Amino acid sequence: MPLLDVKKMTHYFGGLRAVHDYHLSIEPGQIRGLIGPNGAGKTTIFNLLTGIHKPTEGEILLDGNSLVGLFPHQIAALGLGRTFQNLCLWRHMTVLEHVMLARYARLDYGLVGAFFGTAKRQRQEAESEIVARKLLRMLGIEDLAEQNVLNLSYGNQRRVEMARALATEPKILFLDEPTAGMTPEELIQMMAIIRQVHAELGLAIFLIEHRLKMVMELCEQIQTLVFGEVIAEGTPEEIQNNPQVIEAYLGKETLH
Amino acid sequence: MTFFFQNVVNALQYGSFYALIALGYSMVYSILMLFNFAHGDIFMTGAYIGFGVATGLTVLAAAGTIVLPNWLILVLTILIAMFLTSMLGMLVERLGYRPLRDAPRASAAITGMMIGLILEYGNLLLLGPQRRSFPRLIQTVTYDVGGVILTNKKIMIVAVSMVLMYALHLFISRTRWGLAMRAMAFDHVVVPLMGVPINTIARLTFALGSALAAVAGIFFGLAYPVLDPYMGIVFGWKAFVAAILGGRGSVMGATIAGFMLGFIEIFVAMVFPSTLRDLIAYSIILGILVFRPHGLFGEAYSARLRL
Amino acid sequence: MANDMLSGTPPAGALRSSWRRLTAPVPLMGWLLGSLGAALLELAAGGAVAGLLGLDKIPLLFGFLIAFKQPLAIPGVLAYDILVYLLPVLLVGRLSAPPVNRLVAALYRLPLVVSVLVHLGLLYAALHLWSGVSDYRVLMLNLMLIAIMLTLSLNLINGYMGEFSCSHPGFMALGAYAASIFSLVLFVDDRIFGQALLPAAAGPWLFPVALVAGGAMAAVGALVIAIPSFRTRGDYLAIISLAFLFIVKSMIENLELVGGPRGLGGQPGYAGLTTVFIWCVLCIWIINNFVRSTLGKALNAVRDDELAAEAMTIDTRRTKMTAFMFGAFWAGIAGGLYAHVLQHVTPASFDLRMLAEMLAMVYFGGLNSVYGSIVGALSLSVLSEALRPLELIKWIFIPLLLILVMIFRPRGLIAFKEFNVRDIVKPKA
Repeated sequence: MPLLDVKKMTHYFGGLRAVHDYHLSIEPGQIRGLIGPNGAGKTTIFNLLTGIHKPTEGEILLDGNSLVGLFPHQIAALGLGRTFQNLCLWRHMTVLEHVMLARYARLDYGLVGAFFGTAKRQRQEAESEIVARKLLRMLGIEDLAEQNVLNLSYGNQRRVEMARALATEPKILFLDEPTAGMTPEELIQMMAIIRQVHAELGLAIFLIEHRLKMVMELCEQIQTLVFGEVIAEGTPEEIQNNPQVIEAYLGKETLH
Repeated sequence: MTFFFQNVVNALQYGSFYALIALGYSMVYSILMLFNFAHGDIFMTGAYIGFGVATGLTVLAAAGTIVLPNWLILVLTILIAMFLTSMLGMLVERLGYRPLRDAPRASAAITGMMIGLILEYGNLLLLGPQRRSFPRLIQTVTYDVGGVILTNKKIMIVAVSMVLMYALHLFISRTRWGLAMRAMAFDHVVVPLMGVPINTIARLTFALGSALAAVAGIFFGLAYPVLDPYMGIVFGWKAFVAAILGGRGSVMGATIAGFMLGFIEIFVAMVFPSTLRDLIAYSIILGILVFRPHGLFGEAYSARLRL
Repeated sequence: MANDMLSGTPPAGALRSSWRRLTAPVPLMGWLLGSLGAALLELAAGGAVAGLLGLDKIPLLFGFLIAFKQPLAIPGVLAYDILVYLLPVLLVGRLSAPPVNRLVAALYRLPLVVSVLVHLGLLYAALHLWSGVSDYRVLMLNLMLIAIMLTLSLNLINGYMGEFSCSHPGFMALGAYAASIFSLVLFVDDRIFGQALLPAAAGPWLFPVALVAGGAMAAVGALVIAIPSFRTRGDYLAIISLAFLFIVKSMIENLELVGGPRGLGGQPGYAGLTTVFIWCVLCIWIINNFVRSTLGKALNAVRDDELAAEAMTIDTRRTKMTAFMFGAFWAGIAGGLYAHVLQHVTPASFDLRMLAEMLAMVYFGGLNSVYGSIVGALSLSVLSEALRPLELIKWIFIPLLLILVMIFRPRGLIAFKEFNVRDIVKPKA
């Protein structure tokens, strides 16, 4: 059974059809990519799967649980972690706080614990901190734990976002253009991090990316989206050689 | 039925005050993305400036120093008060808001409230807590139209308010400055970079809003010939609510919502005991905002407070 | 130090550094002991000292009240402050520093609760003795402690969660009236509510229940704002909360059962300094616990980026509901205390002026900060009391001060600072 199974998902914004008859099935541990020109509806698909929008039609199953109609935080707690294209970090918090906060759903000390500082709370917060520091170490930003996120370099902010997403203990990780705005060196580091996360945690990863080189290198299977419809799906080689993709998307690149 | 129409007339007059004040809130909001919480007290100060000018002119005219018919005194009062109050508005902008343009919006809100307090207590300090009666500049003439009592003042107030609102509309939609204001309202980040002078526009907006508030203040003085230092709080906050209800930053919305608030208040008082007026009026407003969270005419827009 | 002399440190700098040298080794407990000593001294010899300095009586608020009325008394007042407050506090604090530090260090090794309780006990003793001199001081202290509770609970919503809520006086009114009705119905033979249902002696023991009932009432009222807050943020929510304030006020004015616009009086005087002090400490403790927990930090996440909060498993609806209801609960408790301190409440007092004062305390002290709230509430209360003789000018002076603070420190004096009790009770040196 696939980990994430999306069937016949369609979405309209008002009268505008943003996504049409979208299918996706991701096996545990697989890395999948989604490419497509600007405005093709890639981020909309992310938003539909993560519960920010509710699809007009269709079925989304994660590990057999239907996600349609759930709140984003419920979907996240079921094991669908994500990062954002434009780094939605919390401006007034430290790196450690970011990662610990993403453990929200894993804590169950409740309001009583929060108000009175019970032993259960102390224990759970301490465990949470250990997990958070471990993730920070894995991403190589442990020494920045007490820094405010705004003081970090862009590359490190990206790492914080990744650590934060991992702290929710996802089964599948959605990465929305994880290398947007990065320098070539940062890009290489990011690819290494994604590989490392994949290898160490055995996560499934679903990736939106503009830089084709990266998608081609990382992903086992790639979908190409144009105007809300998947026009091609296959291995990187198949996608690279698909005439429709070349016409719709790669065409511009090959001219150079 | 006559009773109903009588109330329509009263509501129109009441609504004119709210609409004139609400326009000031709304314009400032659309340009600077902040509510000028001092605006209610600018309205109060405008009324007092009008009171001062009118009294002064009346005294001079009575003493024979100058020869002015009463209607001219009224026109002069309105013009001078508009001018002086817009000066005050620009001063408030310069001292209270410009230094805070990049600060969290809540800080600007606090500053506005504090400027309001200063105006209020400054007035109390200068003139004392007693109410002042506004000079009766025009003789009240009463017309009976099918049982509905109209007075020349009511007609003038509603008519002049409407003319002013239309003039503002023309200014915003036809002139170069109006274009700059609309551009600023559309985009606060890029437009200043295109060479639109944000400080001038902000000053202009405050001046226009304050001038309208001064007119509202003088009309208020004419209609209910008493002024008290707390009128800014009472009216200002309600007009503020109207500005929000209309959809923030929407000039048309503010006008309509201002009149609507006048109608709600007058008609609630018509049906229920007047002590319930605020309760019911605000409950209606709460209801509207709960079901139309972006106001009546405002577009859906998620405000992210910057802290 | 000789270096300082050679390089020609300006006198102000030298003064500051010697002041620092003087005070550095004194732990908090030293200052508390010093204050206790000063209070004792005032109790024993305050009248005599005041007489010697040509003052009619002990200056009640460090002489501010006198100084504005009789400028000639200013030197006497200054001398009194120095002799009775400054010198004893400094002397006791400095001289007792070495042994007190050892004591504090010993306490510090025990569970934190012990240190905290000892410190609070000393603080209370000093306040109790100081306020024993006159009822005015008791009233002022009570109102200041209530102001801390209000500021802190408002900061929860406006600072920690970043909404601009204007309904706090409304929550306070709900709490004040609910707690008052509870007390009046059960324990007082009252004109409106008739015979007492329970013996009056049980009243003080059930007072916490009355307060919690008031807090609960306010928390339920907060649902009116919490539920729209799921969809609405920012300005519109501010207006909804403002409308709520007007509705509560107007509703109470129209309810003849609770006295209408004349208000409700005759609350038994259950809220003495001890009671208010304990509730204030509880409020600070619980709110400080909350904002340091992950559940509390979720408020900040909702403020800074709600979308990201949802994606990181944070239940934003629950978080908003908690913030509004919890903040309102404490406003309600504060309202109940307020009603029992003044023993009379009118709906007119819960107006825009009170809202402006509360907002001023929050934004003056500092957003997102328990420290800031305490400092903001205390400093503005004291300032407001001290400048009371100036009457109208006070209301021009204080707003000006606030505008300056907003311009130069837009987030308040002590914003975004964690209130860490462990650091406060730490031994020095």
